[in-house]
Amino acid sequence: MRDKVLGLSAHDQTSLLRLAILGLISVVAIGSRLYSVIRFESIIHEFDPWFNYRTTRYLVDNGFDKFWNWFDETAWYPLGRVVGGTLYPGIMVTSATIYNGLRLLNIPVDIRNVCVFLAPVFSALTAIATYQLGKEVKDATAGLLAAAFIGIAPGYISRSVAGSYDNEGIAIFLLVFTFFLWLRSVRLGSAMYGALTAVFYFYMVSAWGGYVFIINLIPLHVFALLAMGRYSNRLYVAYSTFYVLGTLASMQIPFVGFQPTFTSEHMAALGTFGLVQLVAFTYYVRTVASQQHFQLLVRFALLILFVLGVAVLVLLTMRGVIAPWTGRFYSLWDTGYAKIHIPIIASVSEHQPTAWPNFFFDLNLLIWLFPAGIYFSFRELTDNHVFLILYSIFAAYFSGVMVRLILTLTPIVCVMAGIAMANVFETYLDFRKAAPAELEAHDAPPSATGSMKRYYTYFPKIAVMVNFMYFLFMFQWHCSWITSSAYSSPSVVLASRGPDGSHHIIDDFREAYYWLRKNTEPSAKVLSWWDYGYQLAGMADRTTLVDNNTWNNTHIATVGKIMASDEDTAYELARRHDVDYVLVIFGGMLGYSGDDINKFLWMIRIAQGVYPDDVNEQSFFNREGQYAIGDDASAAMKNSLMHKLCYYRFGDVMGPKGFDRVRKQRLPTSVELDNFEEAYTTENWMVRIYKVKELDSLGRTHHAVAKLKGPRAAAHIPF
Amino acid sequence: MRLLAGLALFGLALVGTGAGQSFGQLQALCGKDKDGVAQLELSQFMKHVVSEDKDYAVVVQLTALSPRYKCDTCHVVDRALRAVSRGWKKSGGTQKRLAFGTLDVENGEELFQQMGIDKIPRLMIFPAGKGPEAMANSSPREMKLGARNSHAEGMAARLSELFGVEIKADVPVDFTKYVVNAAAVAGAAYASLLAYRHINLRMLGRNVWAVATIAFVLLMTSGFMWNRINSPPYLGQARSGDAVLFAPTQSQQFGVETQIVATGYAACALCVVLLVKHVPHVSGAEQRTLVTFMVVASMLLVYSYLNSVFRLKMPGYPYKLLLP
Repeated sequence: MRDKVLGLSAHDQTSLLRLAILGLISVVAIGSRLYSVIRFESIIHEFDPWFNYRTTRYLVDNGFDKFWNWFDETAWYPLGRVVGGTLYPGIMVTSATIYNGLRLLNIPVDIRNVCVFLAPVFSALTAIATYQLGKEVKDATAGLLAAAFIGIAPGYISRSVAGSYDNEGIAIFLLVFTFFLWLRSVRLGSAMYGALTAVFYFYMVSAWGGYVFIINLIPLHVFALLAMGRYSNRLYVAYSTFYVLGTLASMQIPFVGFQPTFTSEHMAALGTFGLVQLVAFTYYVRTVASQQHFQLLVRFALLILFVLGVAVLVLLTMRGVIAPWTGRFYSLWDTGYAKIHIPIIASVSEHQPTAWPNFFFDLNLLIWLFPAGIYFSFRELTDNHVFLILYSIFAAYFSGVMVRLILTLTPIVCVMAGIAMANVFETYLDFRKAAPAELEAHDAPPSATGSMKRYYTYFPKIAVMVNFMYFLFMFQWHCSWITSSAYSSPSVVLASRGPDGSHHIIDDFREAYYWLRKNTEPSAKVLSWWDYGYQLAGMADRTTLVDNNTWNNTHIATVGKIMASDEDTAYELARRHDVDYVLVIFGGMLGYSGDDINKFLWMIRIAQGVYPDDVNEQSFFNREGQYAIGDDASAAMKNSLMHKLCYYRFGDVMGPKGFDRVRKQRLPTSVELDNFEEAYTTENWMVRIYKVKELDSLGRTHHAVAKLKGPRAAAHIPF
Repeated sequence: MRLLAGLALFGLALVGTGAGQSFGQLQALCGKDKDGVAQLELSQFMKHVVSEDKDYAVVVQLTALSPRYKCDTCHVVDRALRAVSRGWKKSGGTQKRLAFGTLDVENGEELFQQMGIDKIPRLMIFPAGKGPEAMANSSPREMKLGARNSHAEGMAARLSELFGVEIKADVPVDFTKYVVNAAAVAGAAYASLLAYRHINLRMLGRNVWAVATIAFVLLMTSGFMWNRINSPPYLGQARSGDAVLFAPTQSQQFGVETQIVATGYAACALCVVLLVKHVPHVSGAEQRTLVTFMVVASMLLVYSYLNSVFRLKMPGYPYKLLLP
């Protein structure tokens, strides 16, 4: 490599190549996240992103001050929601900043497009951050491999496709970059990097609740290093700077507030901070005390302090001074807890434990390169590697308990796999020198001719490399396929293929929300299950009773109770809550399995948790113990509002022998509905909207009115 | 509620009203049982429990405890009820005239059949109909046995709420658990003491930690926690009766899958480590070539196997290696 190419030295060539590769990785990372935009349109996906989008628009329209003090009376009717104080504003502020920056440069973009493309752009930044992390712990090769892995790993793509405008989209970049800065600050003992770590930690706190992972992992790293007898002034400087600045900064976020001073999640960081001061003090003492005395002192002091610290922590928690772990975190440790005590957490499918195919699905071959990477880290075991190992252990555990936490596992798996792969490349991609054993055997008489010898030297290397290159190609195919087939549906708009391969777009959700927007009073209150709250607020712009910010379990249980009660009880409850419209999602026509009837059991469970006298899960199963919907359904099921709203007049369109395409069951023969009036049903019957009838002007019950008018009069649609 | 109304009617028809039921007689029956849960015959049930104008309350479980019914929930509820009854006995149980009883299907088959009781266990509450403790609504009622009420504390809490007196469950302390835990802790402490004295930790430490860490990570990434939480069967069974290793869906797995997959991952990772750490140091060019090929081949084979298993779990997955 003596020769200059294009006037560049070998070193410059390497830098240029790295830059080019990193650039390409970024392009691929962004590109592979655009399937949904190309196939559908530039649209915000799913549920939570609709809230983020709505708040971002509010921020852009009204400015930061108003955003900060926003009280949203159209959510959680009649309670309302203090939005500014109950959200992580990071992602909104990021988008608004980008939007305003572009406007400043006279580039007019729609705020929606900023939101849609934010996650892909940040995934490119994540790749660069991962490269830095890999370079920090091993070398540029490992860094580039890790960057390439994270650029396309489905485990991360699942949360960052274009349109998936959610906190995780920027949080993973912040997570990786904070860890990179932390490792560098520990390696260099630099207060500047420590402060930078704190700055990015602050950004992370503002963006995602997962910041708790950082504020526990870094202290754990420090503690592990102390326990291994690896205290150094570098560590002291790095951690003290990070903790003080980071904690003060994190308290500026209203949603976090004073939590770092009293909740259990943050106590480890505080305790470690105290410990580091003590250890620093003892090291100072060492300079003045004798060796033997000192060792004894340190050992006992450490032991006593640890025991005392834990005891005090437990005591304070029990006395209620320190808030105990919040339910969501608690359910991570005691895995049976959520099932019994908080059905609302257990009901979310991404809070379920992870079966092995999920890991293979999201990480493919990285999942078995991961242990190899851990092994190589143990061989080196510098301060940085201790961190990587700790991260691996905890992320592996958490992702095993909760499917969605594969997301936090993905970066470390990519880095570890990068290390493992880089080790293989180092050994087998270097054709310049012979293998070490070759040199040892140099004294022995040559056993083969020169060409044979070269064959023996090169051929195995080529075989190994071909094998691994093929694996890598397969990984790329796997990732593209998974991304395209599993993670690129906006879930607001659905696509299906006819038997002849024709492409159908199913746009019922937006049809229904648009109908609500155009045909109902702006002050109308719409009752639906909480999954659709954010979409209703974002797309229909109507008041909702519950939404995806599940802060009030009782209110959600009330909605569940309304759905699970019989028509008259539900009517009374709905009137008492000022409900004007009830919206249900029904998949029986299309075979859409994520509909309300399939979610109904969770509604019942959640309602039963709060109203055990009124709702009972068992009564919704028929005599054979099946969850039936047809004529053999249990009485409670047939009488429930949810059942009626879903199957009302459905038999008319499906014919007398029709059946439900999700449940694969025969339809109920008759569904009577008097207190509610069908207002709108979308093209494919996916969304059905009912109006809660006004009280009868003559004071009769609606049943009596219906009887008077005769059969089917109740089904008359007044327009 | 059809059941309850029918029950009352049936009782009335059988014994007529006011057939001299008294709390003393029922208490004598309770006294025969160590936990104070009266084992009722059908006639006793009718006499002491069902009648409307009694001046005491009874909580009765309708159950099937005989092993031939294989009713696990019955035993769970039975244990809970016994704990509540013990607790009531212990705390004196004088604030209220309240008794606990069991009607097993073997004693009350006639009643069960007649009433069409198809689901057990059930917990029925028969409040006092007259006297100072009579409830406003004295008709018998059923207490739903959800996840919350099936364990002793929950049941006691609900009953306390209902009767307006404090009922505490007396849950036996599981001493074996404490003993086993204490023994384990002591054993671990002793083992670490031995290790500390006799083994040079600095030499050993790194490898032991590495193995432990990797084992842990392998378990976690191959669905161990899923098994812990969902406790699936170890093996599946085909209709023909043959054992099935892999559940054919992506969201389910059998216990053995975790073991197979973890072993597969470990084998692949081991191959990578061997290729980097050991294979280049094999002496002799021919041997080295041979070993390299063997390691690569085994890695390829194991990965192909994992891939084919994944294809099995996820029909429609288009990529394959050596195996179908």
